Amino acid sequence: MFVLICIGAFVGAFALSNAIHLAYANYLTREYRVNWSDEVGTVRTDLAYGEGDAQKYDLYLPADSSKDSYGLIVYLHAGGFTTGDKSGDAETLEYFCSLGYVTAGINYTLASEENHASVYTQSEEIKAAVPQVVEKARELGYNVDRMAMAGGSAGGALALIYAYRDADEAPAPVRMVFEAVGPSSFYPEDWTSYGTDQSPEAAAALFSAMRGEAVDPDILGTPAYDELMKPISPLLWVEEDTVPTVMAYGKYDRVQPYAASVRLDRALTEAGVDHAYIVCEHSGHGLQNDLAEGVRYNETVNDYLDRYMAS
Amino acid sequence: MTFFTKKRLVILAIVIVCGLILGRLVPRAILNALLGGALFGGDVL
Repeated sequence: MFVLICIGAFVGAFALSNAIHLAYANYLTREYRVNWSDEVGTVRTDLAYGEGDAQKYDLYLPADSSKDSYGLIVYLHAGGFTTGDKSGDAETLEYFCSLGYVTAGINYTLASEENHASVYTQSEEIKAAVPQVVEKARELGYNVDRMAMAGGSAGGALALIYAYRDADEAPAPVRMVFEAVGPSSFYPEDWTSYGTDQSPEAAAALFSAMRGEAVDPDILGTPAYDELMKPISPLLWVEEDTVPTVMAYGKYDRVQPYAASVRLDRALTEAGVDHAYIVCEHSGHGLQNDLAEGVRYNETVNDYLDRYMAS
Repeated sequence: MTFFTKKRLVILAIVIVCGLILGRLVPRAILNALLGGALFGGDVL
């Protein structure tokens, strides 16, 4: 009987400990969720921007349609370039819409063994989609005249690529970018968890798949390699007029390298670009062990939105 | 003779404390493994 009581007490304490932590996490992030309803906004789902199965986007429109102009926030989903869907970011898109922004989640063709999708082709899809998103919003009565790019992980990388590489061709001025744990450069000495520092062939194989073009192992570390990888390397586009950036990374990230974010922070600092670099000292790719830093990231994003996305 | 002797109460308290600690550490370890954290270097992902 006493043994049963002990087992019950252990299970109860185990569950209680979990529940307390979850409740604390929910408490810290309570301000960044919204009860979505018609009073907050409406959403148009699966609007097509191309003929591909994945080439669709969701558009969130604020209930107040009386303003002269609106800021657009494009949030791109995570998933290692191979999985994920815009619906996974619904809560985030709803939250920013509740602040008065038009928001959009854009899907892109996920890389698989059957197709030739790569980070490059995905970035080109986003580039093709954004003008259509802006046009659609304007058609629906929301005059978008400024925008911010955003995303997480793979989506963070695509957001950075658009903001740094394609901003000049954007249908509205790109005022800022915010993202978490998105890869921003592709150097073998950084991507060590994939063995790229041990084997040039492994590095070439990984980066070829990301670039969508064959990388010759012999060019690694040369200017020719930088030139080849530039279209998918936000780091290589940083210059003094690069848009303000908020970014968060985990120090123990082995899905994409923390070292790459150090390079990006250094480049932005040297170029004099206004940016916030939030390092989660105890976390990996999920930023899972630094709740307070997660909140700081959210607060910083809102601060930058106030500064750069005001009409 | 009472069921909850002093010895049993001490054991029960230790079991509860272990449950509370493991209830925090085990999910954290699993999350670390899955999300590219410090444990196992995230190679599970």
